[in-house]
Amino acid sequence: MIKLNFEHRQAGHCESGVTSNLLNYYGLKISEPMAFGIGAGLFFSYLPFLKMQHAPVTSFRVWPGMVFKRATSELGVKSGIFTFRSKKESMDKLKSTLDSGIPVGMQVGTFHLPFFPPEYRMHYNMHNMVVYGYDHDTFFVSDTLVEKPVEISYDDLVRVRFAQGTFAPRGRMYYPYDVPESVDIRPAILSGIKKTAHNMVGIPIPLVGVNGIRYLSRQMRTWEKRYGEAKASYYLGQVLRMEEEIGTAGAGFRFIYGAFLEESAEVLNKPFLREMAEEMGENANKWREFSYLGSRNCKKRAKPEESYDMLADMLYACAGREEKIFKKLSRM
Amino acid sequence: MEDEPEKVYTDDRHGQYREMLYGYDKDGNFTKQVGYHGASERVILQQVWDEFKDRIEDARQKVLSGKASPILYYMEKNLLNAQDLATHTGICVWFVKRHLKPGAFQRLSEKKLKRYAEAFNITIDQLRKVE
Repeated sequence: MIKLNFEHRQAGHCESGVTSNLLNYYGLKISEPMAFGIGAGLFFSYLPFLKMQHAPVTSFRVWPGMVFKRATSELGVKSGIFTFRSKKESMDKLKSTLDSGIPVGMQVGTFHLPFFPPEYRMHYNMHNMVVYGYDHDTFFVSDTLVEKPVEISYDDLVRVRFAQGTFAPRGRMYYPYDVPESVDIRPAILSGIKKTAHNMVGIPIPLVGVNGIRYLSRQMRTWEKRYGEAKASYYLGQVLRMEEEIGTAGAGFRFIYGAFLEESAEVLNKPFLREMAEEMGENANKWREFSYLGSRNCKKRAKPEESYDMLADMLYACAGREEKIFKKLSRM
Repeated sequence: MEDEPEKVYTDDRHGQYREMLYGYDKDGNFTKQVGYHGASERVILQQVWDEFKDRIEDARQKVLSGKASPILYYMEKNLLNAQDLATHTGICVWFVKRHLKPGAFQRLSEKKLKRYAEAFNITIDQLRKVE
């Protein structure tokens, strides 16, 4: 039996929450928005050729695993990241790591997670949680989505770690092991902001970043004609689910990113960042309004003027605002 | 926006499923609180489960009328598509699509059936028929 003294803190986004909690265990006080911002988690991509739950993929975040990887390397923390072929080997490695007193973060699939809200149990392989102890075949889990620490059995843990499908986790586990006493987070913040700005306005591909939002907006106008009312509404619902559902902390991470900008304005003592945080907050509220009106559309309670054209206009305006914000941030 | 918070979860053990929500209030401060998502959330979550339910029922009718094999029903019931099922079973997606037809299903070997049954977490006898 081993149970580490791990502090469970709830968070809005699973991966940055896990990163923040793991670093907190070693005494490095990094808040969740901070981990998200340094890890350059904000992104946008619309991939109509990939289908998830029978609708095109819209993503508001970077590739799974990137937030932890970037945040730890920017902060000068040494970390280990492993994937496995053998199930037995992965569980043995997990146990031996816990024995040496290191809490372990891992990527899991959500379909078979027993403690998960039933409404969220779909095939989604990008969830993250921390295992901080075990007693024979019971593992102690801190999942940032759930309010209290929970437990999971050996068999269930094997099943969720080796879930199949898109972004299969393949038993992926990670942990920081060499955390410096004190870290100067200022260069890390600047580098994180630069990286995010580049991701949003610097990549000349029409599917990602600000261009991706515009592309989605153009596509949205044609949905009703191309696919019929029912399917168009389902596609819109998918965009909103990715924006508001599990682990985005609302408005597709825009709130959490605004909180990061606000916090870094204090750390760096730059009033400019404070202004940007305000703009980001306004922008996030607009995204929220978009999802609110969109959900009325899904419920078929929309007023006639709240059509797909209007929603597309709102998206287009969001893209314009974000382009302005990130252009300014990239020139900082 | 008059988006009232609503309890989203049916199986809420002692309010365990309240989530962390971020926001931005009128005074220009970012807020952080534990609570339930708004009612609009309920709608979009319900929408996807309605879609799944329709697909499962469609598949069931197809199997009962002999137009598809039970694998289609169990595939939809596990919220999978042919590509995903191929990775779950280790059978090539071209063959998986073939096995969705009743004729090809009849000719399946015990070994292949077992792989499907394992992927769906049921027995072979259960796999041969739908509820």
